This record gives sequence, C-alpha cells and structure tokens, in this order.
Amino acid sequence: MITAGIDIGSITAKAALIKDGELAGTRLDFTGYNAPKAGRRVLDDLLEKTGIKKQEVDFIISTGYGRNSVDFADKSITEITCHGAGARFIDPGVCFVIDVGGQDSKVIKLSRDGKVVDFAMNDKCAAGTGRFLEVMARALESDLDEFGELSARADVPAAISSICTVFAESEVISLISKGESRENMIAGIHESVASRISAMAKRLGVTGPVMMTGGVAKNSGAVRALENKLGVSIRVSPHAQLTGAMGAALLAARMEQSA
Amino acid sequence: MGRYRAGKGRALKNSRRHRLREFQMNPEDRFYSACLDPSGYARGLKQRTCGKILGYFCSYAPVELIHAAGLHPFRILGGKGEIRLADAHLQSYCCSLVRSGLEAALNGSLDFLDGAVFPHTCDSIQRLSDIWRLNAGFEHHFDVVLPVKLNTLSARRYMAEVLNGFRKELEQAFQVEITDEALWRAIRDYNVIREKLESLYGLRSFNPSLFDPSAVHRITAAAMFMEPGAFLKDISEYLGNVEPGVLGGTGSGRKRLVLSGGICSHPDIYDLLARAGADVVWDDLCTGTRWFEEKAEEDGRDPIGALADRYMARSVCPAKHADVRARAGELADTVRRHRADGVVFLMLKFCDPHAFDYPYLKRFLDEAGIASLLLETEDHPPAEGQLMTRFETFVDML
Repeated sequence: MITAGIDIGSITAKAALIKDGELAGTRLDFTGYNAPKAGRRVLDDLLEKTGIKKQEVDFIISTGYGRNSVDFADKSITEITCHGAGARFIDPGVCFVIDVGGQDSKVIKLSRDGKVVDFAMNDKCAAGTGRFLEVMARALESDLDEFGELSARADVPAAISSICTVFAESEVISLISKGESRENMIAGIHESVASRISAMAKRLGVTGPVMMTGGVAKNSGAVRALENKLGVSIRVSPHAQLTGAMGAALLAARMEQSA
Repeated sequence: MGRYRAGKGRALKNSRRHRLREFQMNPEDRFYSACLDPSGYARGLKQRTCGKILGYFCSYAPVELIHAAGLHPFRILGGKGEIRLADAHLQSYCCSLVRSGLEAALNGSLDFLDGAVFPHTCDSIQRLSDIWRLNAGFEHHFDVVLPVKLNTLSARRYMAEVLNGFRKELEQAFQVEITDEALWRAIRDYNVIREKLESLYGLRSFNPSLFDPSAVHRITAAAMFMEPGAFLKDISEYLGNVEPGVLGGTGSGRKRLVLSGGICSHPDIYDLLARAGADVVWDDLCTGTRWFEEKAEEDGRDPIGALADRYMARSVCPAKHADVRARAGELADTVRRHRADGVVFLMLKFCDPHAFDYPYLKRFLDEAGIASLLLETEDHPPAEGQLMTRFETFVDML
C-alpha cells in the first residue's frame, strides 16, 4: 500500500510517501503564491524521484494552511494532528510536540496511543515563529542556516525585550549601532522566540518526551534556548518541516487500511 | 407593548412604510434584520414611536426597570468598524467591546440613544462609564453600583437598595413614575421572553439540525435589540412553527459543544464550527444564557426584591463572586446535562475577569475529563484559516 501526505505551509510545500509502513521519500519546495500548483508540483517531483506512479498511490491526505486547496487529495486533516502523528511515527515515545513553522507555532500534547489530547497555537502575531527569525536574519545580514552555530558562540545573549517582530527588528538595529556582537544578538533572538513558545507550552503543561518539528527545529540555537526555558531535553525531528507531510501520509495509510 | 406613542408627520409616514415592510417579513427575517443592523432597528423604532432608548453593556443591567419606565433597553455589543476616536481616550489593553462601544458613541453611530446605564462589573466598564459621561454627550447617564459578592444576605439587601436607587434616578431623569404595577408587568414580559429563549435553546440541544448553525445566536441577540413586545410576538410565532423532530437530529457523528465566555458577536463562529463537524448545543455567555436564565418571582409583594433575587440566583459572571468554584461546577454540569463533548472558551482579548478565571476553569474541566479549546476574539474573529485549523483539530480530538 502506498499513501501520500502533502503539507502546504506558508513558506514551503512538502510531500511524503509511505510504502508498506516505511518512508519511501520526501520532497520540499517553496509554496509561492499558487498553493494548489505547489501541492501538485511537489507530489509530481516526489513521484518522479521515487519512481512511483501516481495511480499506485492509494490515498492522499493534505495538511497545512493550504490543505483545502489540494483538490486531488482524498481528505484534509489539520497540521496539528499530522505533526502529532508524524512525531509519533519517528519516535514512538514522544508525548509532546513543539511545531514551529513559518507563520505559526504550535504545542501539541499526545495521549499514550498517539492521539492529540490538547493543543495551543499562536494568534495573530509572528513573534515565536520562523518568520520572526527570517526578519531578524535579514536585519543582521546573516544566513538563517548559520544562526544555530553563531548563537552557540555567544558569551552574553543580548536582551531583546520587545515581542513584536517590527519593534524587535528596530531593537536589533539599535543593538548593531551600539556594537553588540552578532553572536550575542542571535542568541538573544533565540531566547525571545523560546520565551514565547515556552510560555505557550507551560500553559498546556509539558509532559513526557518532547519532540520539536517544523522548519525552526533545524535551528540548533532555537532548540537549545527552548530546552533551557522548559528545563527538558528536546528530541529534534530528523525530518523537521517534513514531519507534518509524513504524519499525513501515515494517517492516510491508517485510513486506507481501515476502509 | 403600546408604550411608544406614534409621532406626527414624518414619523407617521415612516411608521406606515415600516409596517408594510414588516408585513412582508417573517419573524426570522425580523430577527436577522435587527441582528444585522441593531442601530438601524433602534433608529427606526425611535422614529416610529418617539420613545426614549437607554443603552446598556452587560447582562446585569436591570432591563425590567428600564422597560417599566417606558424606555427601550438596547444592548450595546460594539461594532466592527475602524477605531478612530476611542483610542484617544483608552489605553491599548482595553477589550474591543469597550473600544468599539466608545467609538460608536463618539462617532454618532449610537445617536438614537437618550442615555446609557453602566452596572458595576469589570474595571474597564467602570472607567468607560466615566469617559462616556465626560465625552459621549448623551442626555442621561446612570451607574448601577451592584455588589460584587452575590451570595450573602447583606449583598442581597444592598442589591435591592441599589435597584431602588436606580428606580428613583430613572423616575427623576425621565419624569415618570415607575409603579409597582408597571414593574410587575415588565417582569412578566421579560420572564416570558426568557422562557421562550430557554425553549429555543432546549430545542437546539434536543436536535441541533433544526436550526441554521448561527440562528439561535442571532435570535438571542435580537432579543436584546428589539422592542420586548415585538420580540415576544415574533418568537412565539417562530417557536410555534418549529417541529422538534427526533432527538439529536440527523447529524450523526457530529460533536456537541458548549460555548463559554463573555460576549459573542460573531455568528461566523457557529458556522465555522458546524463546518468542522460540531454543533453548539448550549452556552455560558453574557450574550446567551447569562442574559436569560432564571426568572424573577412574579407573585410576591416586592418587585425590586424579585429582581434582586434573580441576580442572586443566576450564574455569576467572572466579574462577580458567588463561590470560588461556582462557575467551574456549573460549567461542568452544563456539559453533562446537555451531553456535550467539549467546551470552547471564547475570550475577548484583554478581558481580565475571564482571563483570570480561565486557568482554573481549564484545570477543573481537564480533571473532569472534559476537553476544551481556548479562542481569543476581538471585534473581528481570527483569520478563517487559523480558526478552522483550531476547530478541525479540536473536533478531531473529541
């Protein structure tokens, strides 16, 4: 049995294929302005890469903010449920998932059998999201991929007191003019993101092994800052932002099986 | 109820035009029309009747006294327009009800009001009362400083004194006598309205598929805008045409939800929840059950005492106090009584009383095994995409 999961996020579109319970392949591309087209493209590319034919795919689940624009999907399920399922697929011990994507951050509590029992997500604000980090990277003329490594070299993280993305950017510019080191500023930015997300996680009550998913999971500095704020060690999804698409493909397999 | 005198000239023409339009509408149309444009409804009422209209913000406003004084009590639920004038008077952490209510007063959207009454509830409403008095320019202004604790004998005595004081203030301000007879009549009118709304809620809980998702919300809101006699006539006709059908209705597999919080002025929320696979079957909202639950005694000798007793008996809002666990216990009971699968908390952003209550309510529900979802709202609901992500996940979770 072959199933597919397609996750249309605000920045990237992701696809995953699961064949007989094993991950057969993944694909990631920019969403751009045409979400339906991005969904089709990312799946076609993945099918080509894996040599699997479209007609061999038994069930497709779409997820992410653009889930309803994937008109060829058999069903759509929210990214919260899919990230929960994906995290469990990767690590069956995980009970709490922190998913930080481009435009939102979510904390998800899982039951013993992997079902979502509670969740919270950010509201109307880019603070604590990947977009916040992107804006800061631009202000610091730095590559986001270097953020983790650079922040590890900080001696005293700079205090970023504003939680508003626009004001925090002004604060960073003001710190630059004061000669603050880039490393300290990046570490401060990570602490700011971590404060926002950890407050949301604590309100829900962090339980059991924690996994971080979403694009920001690739940023070791953000993960480290979150670990410090929460006082727990965080397992990082090796598939980061692909976790939701994998969860969707897995749920598709379960649905196809039970049909 | 014949309290509004027909005016001359233009008012008479308007009255005829209105009656013709009304004739072409059914009760549901009239509810929806009042709900869609409450100010338009109030302006029309004023033109037709030359009556006086008193605005109020919360469910602790003694509408029976206002009605008995021959005035029309009109619920102010804020608006969705741009805030241009109010922000000059308010700090940034005021809720959207206070901000948009003041904006409406300052920009002329509430020009049909003769005044407003502010019962003592949250801090923001208290301060709004002062700002309103100084800046809104209406002829009449009343503060009804109700007790905060609602579970003691002294509070009951104090409540009656305050209500008596308001009665005298109304009499003085509008040069009318509020007789006991008129007050009993108003109590009976509102009791019947409350009874009808309770029946409406009961029918929805029995069989949610009887109504459009937001219909009950719109009808309940209309009860707070419409002239009581007109509403009563329409709701009676409307309910007479509802056939209860079968228990639970046709929505097999659909989830049943209770809404809890302050005001809800977003009919879309009911529609989106329905799209996500859930029906709202009951609520604990200031614009819902807290407005209509508990009837005042009709057979006593003291109508003010009857009103005071009603406020002491009904569920408290978080700006009041009855018992430290009263709200949580009642909410859990409501969930069980209506066989609900979960609770959606609708919290107006920057509403301190509800925000302070939320953590303990959430913990109480968690311990009782009742799932809940928190949604912060403002004058505009959150973006539809984010809202649907929350709702769909919550419904999947149940």
